[in-house]
Amino acid sequence: MANITKKVSWSGRGEERTPLLNGSEEVRYSRQSSGGSVFHIGRLSTVDLDEDITPEEDPVRSKPKEIPHNEKLLSLKYESLDYDNSENQLFLEEERRMSHMSFRCLEISRWVICGLIGFLTGLIACFIDIAVEYLAGVKYDLVKENIEKFTEVGGLSISLILWAVLNSAFVMVGALAVAFFEPVAAGSGIPQIKCYLNGVKVPRVVRLKTLLVKVFGVICSVAGGLAVGKEGPMIHSGAVVAAGVSQGRSTSLKRDFKIFEYFRRDTEKRDFVSAGAAAGVSAAFGAPVGGVLFSLEEGASFWNQMLTWRIFFASMVSTFTLNFFLSIYHKKPGELSSPGLINFGRFDMDNVQYSLYEIPLFIIMGAIGGVLGALFNVLNYWLTIFRIRYMHRPCLQVMEAMLVAAVTATVSFAMIYFSNDCQPLETVTSEDYPLQLFCADGEYNAMATAFFNTPERSVRSLFHNPPGTYNPLTLGLFTLTYFFLACWTYGLTVSAGVFIPSLLIGAAWGRLFGLLLSLMTTGKLVWADPGKYALMGAAAQLGGIVRMTLSLTVILVEATGNVTYGLPIMLVLLTAKIVGDYFIEGLYDVHIKLQSVPFLHWEAPATSHWLTAREVMSSPVTCFNRVEKVGTIVDVLSNTSTNHNGFPVIIQAAASEEPGKLCGLILRSQLIVLLKHKVFVERARSRLSQRKLQLKDFRDAYPRFPPIQSIHVSQDERECMMDLTEFMNPTPYTVPQETSLPRVFKLFRPLGLRHLVVVDDENRVVGLVTRKDLARYHLGKHGLEELHLAHT
Amino acid sequence: MSAVTGAGGGGARGSAVWWTALALIGGFVLSVRAAEESDSGDAARPLSPLLAEPSGPGLPAKFPDDLEVSESCVEMLRLFGERYVAAVNCLVSSARPVRVCQNCYQAYSSFNDIYTNISSGQSGNVSCQDSLMRSDRLMLLFNLYSSLTDIWTSALCTQCLTPDQKSLTNSTLDFISYLNKSLSCFEKYQENHTELCMDCKATYKGLNEMYSTMLKNKGYCIDIEDAMNVTRRLWSKKFGCTVPREETVPVIAVSSFMLFLPVIFYLSNFLHSEQKKRKLIHPKRAKSNHSLMNIQDKFS
Repeated sequence: MANITKKVSWSGRGEERTPLLNGSEEVRYSRQSSGGSVFHIGRLSTVDLDEDITPEEDPVRSKPKEIPHNEKLLSLKYESLDYDNSENQLFLEEERRMSHMSFRCLEISRWVICGLIGFLTGLIACFIDIAVEYLAGVKYDLVKENIEKFTEVGGLSISLILWAVLNSAFVMVGALAVAFFEPVAAGSGIPQIKCYLNGVKVPRVVRLKTLLVKVFGVICSVAGGLAVGKEGPMIHSGAVVAAGVSQGRSTSLKRDFKIFEYFRRDTEKRDFVSAGAAAGVSAAFGAPVGGVLFSLEEGASFWNQMLTWRIFFASMVSTFTLNFFLSIYHKKPGELSSPGLINFGRFDMDNVQYSLYEIPLFIIMGAIGGVLGALFNVLNYWLTIFRIRYMHRPCLQVMEAMLVAAVTATVSFAMIYFSNDCQPLETVTSEDYPLQLFCADGEYNAMATAFFNTPERSVRSLFHNPPGTYNPLTLGLFTLTYFFLACWTYGLTVSAGVFIPSLLIGAAWGRLFGLLLSLMTTGKLVWADPGKYALMGAAAQLGGIVRMTLSLTVILVEATGNVTYGLPIMLVLLTAKIVGDYFIEGLYDVHIKLQSVPFLHWEAPATSHWLTAREVMSSPVTCFNRVEKVGTIVDVLSNTSTNHNGFPVIIQAAASEEPGKLCGLILRSQLIVLLKHKVFVERARSRLSQRKLQLKDFRDAYPRFPPIQSIHVSQDERECMMDLTEFMNPTPYTVPQETSLPRVFKLFRPLGLRHLVVVDDENRVVGLVTRKDLARYHLGKHGLEELHLAHT
Repeated sequence: MSAVTGAGGGGARGSAVWWTALALIGGFVLSVRAAEESDSGDAARPLSPLLAEPSGPGLPAKFPDDLEVSESCVEMLRLFGERYVAAVNCLVSSARPVRVCQNCYQAYSSFNDIYTNISSGQSGNVSCQDSLMRSDRLMLLFNLYSSLTDIWTSALCTQCLTPDQKSLTNSTLDFISYLNKSLSCFEKYQENHTELCMDCKATYKGLNEMYSTMLKNKGYCIDIEDAMNVTRRLWSKKFGCTVPREETVPVIAVSSFMLFLPVIFYLSNFLHSEQKKRKLIHPKRAKSNHSLMNIQDKFS
């Protein structure tokens, strides 16, 4: 206690208020129980629910409180990944045994793995593309034929129903797979991968089953005509491929290929996952550099030159593979002209020129994109909250997805039906599905070229169709409907991305912008090429929704294949981000928050220097002695209410109540492996254990360590002792109690720590800082706020 | 002296020409000029008007023999000019309505022949290719030829012609006869458009179908495309035979029913589904007396 009062006197103003607040404890608690979605740190800082330790527990607080789900929660189901290498004696031994040659081999196998990741990701992208093209082709041909038949005879409402039923059927299959087999495959997967690279272990996110459901789900939802794209899920797929390939085995299939065993730990796996994410971006957009920058921007807090180079290699291989196999599919083998899933087409040099006086216009477009993107995010935020609170049953989720699919078809059909915009099509390729309906012969319904097509194609036609293909009313209506459809669709229980719908909305209003410009400035028709404005609008809208910066600029520049547009795209994205951030965060961050993930941002909240490690940390800490009784260990591990993961190892000063001195840190996973192999002191003495435990034994159990319940420890064995000296990490990172929160943060986030031990001046353990302790502080509207821990 | 700058591309022989030409300029161009002009009279061959000498002062009409084009080449040049003129004449006269392929394929193919002759260099012992086509940077013959070829390819005329380019294909002829049938039907019912829409529908539809099958086989040239476009415009715009929008009511009914479904769905969910609550957990914290006030109080 002496320490603490000293501390209080240090922080000026706090001293004056302490007695007052001590007196008002009662008031505080009643305020807290009356509830309110915003909780502030001050009300919680004395809360200590460990009932055994604090007998003077307030009765009001002892029963668990229930509140509706909101974004100010941290879920308990997420754990951290162990990015920090445990340098225990086993590790040192293994390193000693390894020759120079085997380090070389490791380096080479890293390259091989990256190549494989790129290759497989490209193949998956290729498969998705072909499957979607085929299924969508079948669907649109069927509906088109039906519409053509009924246009003359009458009965178009039957075509409408046919279209809606086909859409719902596709989406139902996809949503069933996602909702019942692998809910984590829902959505674009980018938030999940962001979390993974941030160091959060999202359960089941990089499993083979997730990959299968994801790929299947994407094909179904895109073929089902939802307002979605297949680009976002590629990133997730790439990450899963990477996590699988780098381990050289599949736990789901129970196959171990006995290769790449060295990489079976979180540190190595994360590097490969970031390569996989980059390969996914690169396959989706044909943008290898953009992919590398995406990994850099979104994920890796730790970055080195060799890793970047390897990731770039994986990206290149992926885009090349996709390109090569698509060229075979399109029967032009060797013609490598379609590097990504989405092909923005070529912008000819004549059209791409922009002048200085257009830059203000682009900036205005960026601002519009920011506002519209923020609106999109706000609407989606409310919708997602509603979904989490009320639609948690899988069958309801499937029904919702089917309804959205049916309504999408209905709205599209109504738009097409009532549109009077007839335009002659210049070239009709077999890939398009032009609808004539009530247009004159030789002309086609312009609304149908936007709605009656896969979203990728619609984007391309908005970029490249010559001026006069769409009239302003068509574009306006299209933007409006598609905006709401896309906003409604994102967050459904189907796997699908938000990139393409954003691009499509933006391209539509961008083109409208260009058209209006050229209408206003009659006579100067030449400079306002609508395709160029469609591209800028697409960039603005996408930037306004996802708020990516550098990587998105490079992705768009690479996807258009045109460096000339670098500056305007950058300006547009910059403006969109600034304007959008004024209202709400990016869509992915909103969803990460709503998932209650303990996500660590780049920096600690700005006004948090006054918080010290003492306030941040969890305490008291469950510690183990260097030589600990097996029974104690088993009891601690089996305690479901605590479920701790890291345990400081201490040397207890003989016969004293003081906490012991820190000498190491041991993880739950290590302890479980030790218990499983029964590494007890008594057995070692009696030479019962045949061989010494090696690092390999720990790797073999990775990543799914058995639960403690599955390990049987007999009553006799409970009395044995376990020596942790060899296995613990002898040099865990520690901080003194007075360290400020930003300083703790700076150590924690870049190093990717999981546990940070807080010690006093005599190196005695006083607390433990984990991810959840840090992630709960965030800067809200009313200053620094604290998030709650909750079961989700 | 453009010959000097442009001749480099002509290979070995081209460079020889280049050197001699240089020598010419260097020394005696001006001095020779007068002499050449004077004796151009007796060396004059029966030139076509295209190759006529300049009247009045100008560059000499020809150079000493070893650098000049041979007689056979000049003859070919003349032929080229004639056929070019004929082809262009034909194209221009069949511009509207477009009958380019149908009327001009003969003119074009003979023009094509003479160009092939010149460029293959197989006439006589001298290659005309170098002297006519490769000795200057203007490359007039090539440019004329390529401009015509571009027109020809963008018109897709080869699609309507037999492989030897000597006659129209059978499908094209069929199409033309079908088109005529439709047009004569239109003629018959000039006055009454509703009757026209009824009675000519069969022939018109047949024509349309034929056109779309040709479209699928990539087999139509600009003539057919244009004829079809005009006919369609006649049919839809002039005679007004488009399909009317009749089923507005059922479509609206079905659409609004579909749009109504999600409203019911969400409402029933909101009313009947129980809201998911989250159990809060209070983490273990050090018992600190510090900072018991709200943070914003401290920072406001």
